[in-house]
Amino acid sequence: MGPARSSGVGSGNSGAYATEIAESLRFEEEIHSIVHPGLDSPPAAGGSFTALLGLPANQAVELLHETGPSEAPGSAAAPSPTGELWRLRLGEHAAGPLHLPLGCSPTFPSNVALVERAARFSVFAAEDSPALSSGGGPSPRLKAEPPDSDSPPTLLIPAEKTQRLAKRKECEKSKAKGPAKKSKSAEENTAAAAKETAAENTDGEKLPYVHVRARRGQATDSHSLAERARREKINARMKLLQELVPGCSKITGTALVLDEIINHVQSLQRQVEFLSMRLAAVNPRIDFGGLDSFLSAECGPLATANGRGGVALDPALWSSHPVTANGARWLPQPQIRHVDVWPTQQSSTAWTRDGAAHPHALLNPGAALFGYDPASSVSLNSNQLKTEL
Amino acid sequence: MIPSPASSSSGSRKKRMKRGPKARPGTKWRTAAQERVYGRRLLEALRATAALGPRAVKEAADSALAFTARGRSRWSRAILLSPRRKARLLLRTGSKIRRGRRRARAAEAGGRLRGRLRVLRRLVPGCRKLSAGSLLEEAADYVAALEMQVKAMRALADALSAAPAAAAAAEPGSRGGV
Repeated sequence: MGPARSSGVGSGNSGAYATEIAESLRFEEEIHSIVHPGLDSPPAAGGSFTALLGLPANQAVELLHETGPSEAPGSAAAPSPTGELWRLRLGEHAAGPLHLPLGCSPTFPSNVALVERAARFSVFAAEDSPALSSGGGPSPRLKAEPPDSDSPPTLLIPAEKTQRLAKRKECEKSKAKGPAKKSKSAEENTAAAAKETAAENTDGEKLPYVHVRARRGQATDSHSLAERARREKINARMKLLQELVPGCSKITGTALVLDEIINHVQSLQRQVEFLSMRLAAVNPRIDFGGLDSFLSAECGPLATANGRGGVALDPALWSSHPVTANGARWLPQPQIRHVDVWPTQQSSTAWTRDGAAHPHALLNPGAALFGYDPASSVSLNSNQLKTEL
Repeated sequence: MIPSPASSSSGSRKKRMKRGPKARPGTKWRTAAQERVYGRRLLEALRATAALGPRAVKEAADSALAFTARGRSRWSRAILLSPRRKARLLLRTGSKIRRGRRRARAAEAGGRLRGRLRVLRRLVPGCRKLSAGSLLEEAADYVAALEMQVKAMRALADALSAAPAAAAAAEPGSRGGV
């Protein structure tokens, strides 16, 4: 009492708040008369208020008393104007339960300090923590409630407590059941998807998050969602592989399909080895003039264009019998060098053109090795090779 | 197989903007253009490794294949970046195929999916530590590439083995396809 007064006197601004203080005095007299009967049993009403304010009961009662007897404006100077208003609201809160019907939420001026205190109030805190732990859904509801609940009077509090408990029980029950409803699963999905966005940088796909929808009747915790996403990705890739490997589309079951794939890969690798042995056997035998025949299919007529004139190579002949080894033999050695130079420079363009024009790649397995039709490319490249020469 | 709105949504929603339009390996490797590109590279490689032995030929062929993949797949990068190690392994383990077969059978007994995935990891180069999903993707690309390689090598081998025979025929201007 003493220190409060002294601090109040210390503030020299009491004159500025004279009008407010006068008002508060008038109101306080009325309220005091009402409050006093209530104060007779401090634990009933005052106890709740003090708990509301986070103050011990004595100080709250003292504050209430202070407003009553003080009449002089100077002496009635509150520690701060907010303190005056605060006490006023205390009075209002005291009047609340006696006059207001239950369930009615009067529009009290929202005092920030009061709101904070109410939020910090242990009862609310106790209600908050289990609610927060139970999940994201209830928590926004609960957070909205404490600011509202500081204004309603004490008698409302027990009612609200029960309401909130009921809501929380609902949520907990539904969550404990696991997910029966799609709406619940939708909530969980958003939570899970949010977790997945944070946690899952999916495998090698390099980009962050996957939106997964849980299906009806399936577990919706984040682990199973992530596992399901992974499994579905794997199944999609398995489908791709099944189409690629011949004879796998009939097989059902991942393990057997994998078996088939493994066998296929091994057989392919074996074939590559055998073919490489064949090529190695063939290599030393062939005179590279023969090889040049394939390469020089484009530049055979170039020989003619260059004035060799020996071989009149028909375009028709070229298409049916694409390469003549004998024709290649007539090419002198220097031609080989050009052959070497030329493909590196123009292979890509030539081949793509050929690819577009002549897709019969494997019809002539012989020297039409890769199905190019030299007739078309000859005209294209003759000029180019001329420039090279 | 699990049908899926979810898998399609997850697959489509994964942002693949970095990769651009992704061609499926089945279609990517089967074009004639690709085969020609590879054939040319193979030919050059063969000429470079004239008669160094079948293993060198195989290595050259594999390197050519990996090069044709333009390094976009993991296995191709693995082949290109460490041929020497692979060469030594090949020299040591000449009977690699047989060992693979044995392991396949053993893996069957071991565990259905896990064992086979392990075998697959060993088969596809450079995929030892990949997850199952990426492994399957790489395997698809690898299978398509291998098929193309086999086709090209077979055609080349046939042509080369047939060419001297035709040349020996000594008929100018007429050379039948083999």
